[in-house]
Amino acid sequence: MTNLLSVRGLGHTYPGAHAPALHSVDLEISRGESVAIMGASGSGKSTLLHALAGIIAPSAGHVLFHASTGPVQVDTLNDDERAKLRREELGFVFQQGLLLSELSALENVAVALMLSGSTRRDAEAAAAGWLADLGLAGLEDRRLGELSGGQVQRVAIARAHVTGAQLIFADEPTGALDSTTSTEVLDLLLHSVTQGRTLVVVTHDPDVAARCQRVVTLRDGSIVSDVAAANA
Amino acid sequence: MTAMTTALRLAPLFRSGGAQRPGAAALLPVASFAVVTALLLLVIAGARVFFSWDDELASTYQMLAVIALALLVVPLATVGASAAKMAARRRDDRLSSLRLLGASKATLGALTLIEAVTLSALGALGGVVLYAAAAPAVGLLAFRGEALGAGMWMPWWWAPLIAAAVVLLGALSALAGLRAVNVTPLGVRTRQRAAKSPWLRLLLGLGVVVLAVILVQLVPAFGEAGGVIMMMLALGTAFGAGLLALDLIGPWVLRVAARVQHRRAKDVESLVAARTILDDPKAVWRQVGGVAVTSFVGVFAAAGLAFSQAMASGEPGAGEQYLMVDISTGVLVTLAGSFLMVACSAGLNQAAATLDRGPVLVSMDRLGMPRKTMSAATARAMMSALWVVSGGSALCALLLVAPLIGMALFMQPLAVVTVVLVFAAGFLLIRGALFLAARLVPGILARPERVL
Ligand SMILES: Nc1ncnc2c1ncn2[C@@H]1O[C@H](COP(=O)(O)OP(=O)(O)OP(=O)(O)O)[C@@H](O)[C@H]1O
Ligand SMILES: [Mg+2]
Repeated sequence: MTNLLSVRGLGHTYPGAHAPALHSVDLEISRGESVAIMGASGSGKSTLLHALAGIIAPSAGHVLFHASTGPVQVDTLNDDERAKLRREELGFVFQQGLLLSELSALENVAVALMLSGSTRRDAEAAAAGWLADLGLAGLEDRRLGELSGGQVQRVAIARAHVTGAQLIFADEPTGALDSTTSTEVLDLLLHSVTQGRTLVVVTHDPDVAARCQRVVTLRDGSIVSDVAAANA
Repeated sequence: MTAMTTALRLAPLFRSGGAQRPGAAALLPVASFAVVTALLLLVIAGARVFFSWDDELASTYQMLAVIALALLVVPLATVGASAAKMAARRRDDRLSSLRLLGASKATLGALTLIEAVTLSALGALGGVVLYAAAAPAVGLLAFRGEALGAGMWMPWWWAPLIAAAVVLLGALSALAGLRAVNVTPLGVRTRQRAAKSPWLRLLLGLGVVVLAVILVQLVPAFGEAGGVIMMMLALGTAFGAGLLALDLIGPWVLRVAARVQHRRAKDVESLVAARTILDDPKAVWRQVGGVAVTSFVGVFAAAGLAFSQAMASGEPGAGEQYLMVDISTGVLVTLAGSFLMVACSAGLNQAAATLDRGPVLVSMDRLGMPRKTMSAATARAMMSALWVVSGGSALCALLLVAPLIGMALFMQPLAVVTVVLVFAAGFLLIRGALFLAARLVPGILARPERVL
């Protein structure tokens, strides 16, 4: 398998915080892998995810991402370059702070494509296709407030995939869902891994972690274990 | 009464909860209340001077003063009300978590009341200080060749009276706002969607316009029947009604325009802009609505200036020679006052709206939307609203003023220039407010956990 992300000595201290949220993290993630990140609340999981995905600029260390266009040193990019990386190469499925509540389900998915230059008509056609594939046909014009938690996560999944992103980051994608819906949402995410995409998922749920190929555990901002999951 | 006791015990906790957001949430309404109080005091002090005269021309001055008052007081009240609503909206989240913990409706009401009264009282206090600081400068203005001077100082009891009125306004609007948000344990951010009966609002608004126009036509008749007081009341009511009608119709027009814009949108900016308006037309209206006031006042100002110029070319009598100069002064003062107020409220509302849109901004950022696109979307929403607002209000004001003084006055160069200048200033005002509010965005994006 080829390397997708190489992380060296990654550290992050939030402004004003006395202890680092992340400390000397080394990590290699290969193309086509599914990696779960676990750890107690406050152990630095989201911070790690945000640093890998170029949502925050880490205060120490390096993140090398092998993008479709060639290697990119994520930690040295400025705000605009990181935004470009996020919209063109990465997909996100978070619990909150990701979809636009004012837009319809269809528009939320289409916007991702429109930002990379597609026309509205093309973007909406592609978005409608993804929504239909994820079982949301007929709900395109609903706003997020009019969808259930599981449906909202499907919209997020559609948006993460519609641009053809090869690396998907998920932070507690099933955190607010019941167990049946959780399984469905996870199925969808893992299905895209079988198609060659890479998934990095932060989770508290051992069942979610067990279905990933690899589990990385954090404690106080450092990796304490990195093992292949038992039944992967 | 137990509700009040509980609320009093909870109130300090609420304050520390608010401190997380760097004071802006509380500071914005306090500042608005201060501006409202100060302007009210200044305007009333000035008007009192006019009403102390009792010669032949006094009634003309008094009538003009009432027009100015009506033009200033109505918007002052709306600024106050939106300040209170703003304060209430910022409490929504904390209120619903309290509700989740089992706090009773009465406790929540009492809490809201305590906070609203505290904020508006602080603002009113600041406003009195502001008035005292500004009074000497305003006192330099001369009417009938004499500076207002000491006339700007009112008997002391006016200050607590006006302050109390402002606090009452704050408390009442907060309670009204609380009813509108309907706090349920899970009701975080459930915003009231789509006005319940847009048609009713539209009809009501049109009705108010028709009534105002009729009222203006009848002003001379009122004068004959009930003397100058009746005439002034009729005029004041008509102008207040004009502004009220705008407030009723404006959001509806905005929604219709945004629907068209939404259908036609080709890029992300215009799509998000149209959706921003459709999501809550009233909120967008509130942010630019102040300009309705300046356009409205602007048309009156143009009429007033042209009128005084027309008089200048006639044969001035003894007192009339002052009247002409004084109309110009009064017009400019009213214009300046309304601009000051609208500038304050536009800045405050824009900042509050930006904080409110925190979650959306964070989402757009994570999606990788360039910051330029984000601010362009906001600016586009505001600017399209601004066109509707300025056009509608100017039209409405014309409907009211033209029958009173004749259309011909508006063809004069002075009137045309004034209207154009006022419009340009209104646009600059909103641009400025947008510019200031945009500076909050990097701070919001740097600490996303605060808004999510
Ligand atoms: N923006 C921030 N500013 C300051 N400190 C922060 C910020 N975000 C997170 N932290 C702190 O950094 C540490 C790691 O936070 P992080 O959000 O990465 O934890 P997490 O493992 O995702 O926790 P959870 O499971 O609760 O989501 C925590 O101590 C947290 O309090
Ligand atoms: Mg987390």
